[in-house]
Amino acid sequence: MWEQIRSNRLRSILLVAVMGAFLIALGWLLGYSIAANGIAGVVIALAVYGLLNLVAYFQGDSILLSVAGARKIKREDHPRLYNVVEEMKIASGLEKMPDVYIIDDPALNAFATGRDINHASVAITSGLLQKLNRDELQGVIAHEIGHVKNRDVLLMAMCSVLLGTIVIISYYGSRIMMFGGTSGGSRRSSRSGGGGGGAAIVMVVALLLMILAPIFAQLIYLAISRRREYLADASSALYTRYPEGLASALEKLASSSVPVKNANQATAPMYIVNPFKSRGLKMNELTSTHPPIQERIRILRTMAGNVSPAAYDQAFRQVKGAKSGIISPQAAPLVGAVGIRAASADTTPLEPSEEKITRAREVSDLMYKLDDYRVIDCNCGTRLKIPPALRGKTIRCPHCGRSYQA
Amino acid sequence: MICPTCKHHMFVVEYQKIELDYCGNCQGVWFDVGELELMLGSVGIGETKSVLDSLLQSPPAPTNEKKRKCPICRRTMKKANIGGTDHVIIDTCSREDGVWFDGGEVDHLVKFLSGKSPEKSGTAKVFSFIKEVFQAK
Repeated sequence: MWEQIRSNRLRSILLVAVMGAFLIALGWLLGYSIAANGIAGVVIALAVYGLLNLVAYFQGDSILLSVAGARKIKREDHPRLYNVVEEMKIASGLEKMPDVYIIDDPALNAFATGRDINHASVAITSGLLQKLNRDELQGVIAHEIGHVKNRDVLLMAMCSVLLGTIVIISYYGSRIMMFGGTSGGSRRSSRSGGGGGGAAIVMVVALLLMILAPIFAQLIYLAISRRREYLADASSALYTRYPEGLASALEKLASSSVPVKNANQATAPMYIVNPFKSRGLKMNELTSTHPPIQERIRILRTMAGNVSPAAYDQAFRQVKGAKSGIISPQAAPLVGAVGIRAASADTTPLEPSEEKITRAREVSDLMYKLDDYRVIDCNCGTRLKIPPALRGKTIRCPHCGRSYQA
Repeated sequence: MICPTCKHHMFVVEYQKIELDYCGNCQGVWFDVGELELMLGSVGIGETKSVLDSLLQSPPAPTNEKKRKCPICRRTMKKANIGGTDHVIIDTCSREDGVWFDGGEVDHLVKFLSGKSPEKSGTAKVFSFIKEVFQAK
């Protein structure tokens, strides 16, 4: 996959350069129009640009994780998840264990982020953790580790932070324009003729930003292409040796229509499936950042008896009816045929409701623990979970009527 | 979670491994859709959606009761009368985040159900579960 890695690096550089050119042009324009000094504007713009890139490079992952509301967990918080991540770390040959994060959200989704393979994180929503059995969880985590291993994470983090900044600038720009256009601008221009020119330039710039922001969004959509998702799926099949795990997880993801709370235009491409899907609205497949889920499932299920990238490539061609595959022929022979393993012992086609409930309590208890809830085990068998805000208050068990001091 | 009726902090009541959010101040109960699904699954009803739909599609109740906002999505919830002439009014989230029972409604519900033979339908299972949990009221 070296070719893919190189192309990722190239795209990162291209993105950074285009952004730079855009900002410098903007700086010159603003400097020239406000202080009649284009050079000063360029200097300021360069400083802002440099800072922005440093922040995106070093802090991109932590910004994205905090925007998503993700919280880091340790092994003892959720051993099942931690073990699966560790297994996939070993299977993929990563040197360093990625940090594991949980997002408290009933929506079903996951993403990976980071600077490079040694500074990576995987995040999963509590809803997804609750819904997936071991094999499915392994498939999803392997897909995310695939993104780390294929060096998709830095590009995605840089894109999201840079795009996020543009979205913010254009948001405030449009505000300035609205206020400037209605009250402030007209008052100023009626008093003095000189101020009106500057306000007009700001208005034009804001308008320009507003027009350009969606174009940049599109640029990201192109950079983080669907190809990447297919490749991560291929990696997942290879690492888990069990494509059915991811296929069945994707099926669960597809059937849910709960949108992710903290996702936005800039962070959408990171997730394993599109976080914006909503009830009764069919995603336009042409402009979607993600390949259609049904197609991804079909490809995974077509891989009969072999999980190598070449087998994925063959399945891809078969399902898409395309001549050219997704994995370059030079890379494919590096991995020989690898057989599919059997399903895990605890994976039954029809899950008993007991298991679902146990998994749900495991996850919700973890979320309560992270939120610092106190647990009272009442003698009647009822369990009361008390938020920090009610500490010190008297709590009455609604089942048996006993009172407790929280 | 903040109580949609009296704005106090609610706590969680776990009974038979199913969680309900309960307001100690006004005795209101929030039944989250995820928990609803688990509870119905454990009694062999897999179709949570049809149960929720039957609650949602019950005729809107003409009532003077104050409108409440869903504690999850903050949207105004829909009122439904599920007790016929006994007027048991519940609030259902239109995004299907869950169902809210006012403090008085749980009492009403318990009284309403005690006169009836146990039913097999999904909604009846939901109500009898709530009745079982909140015995001490």
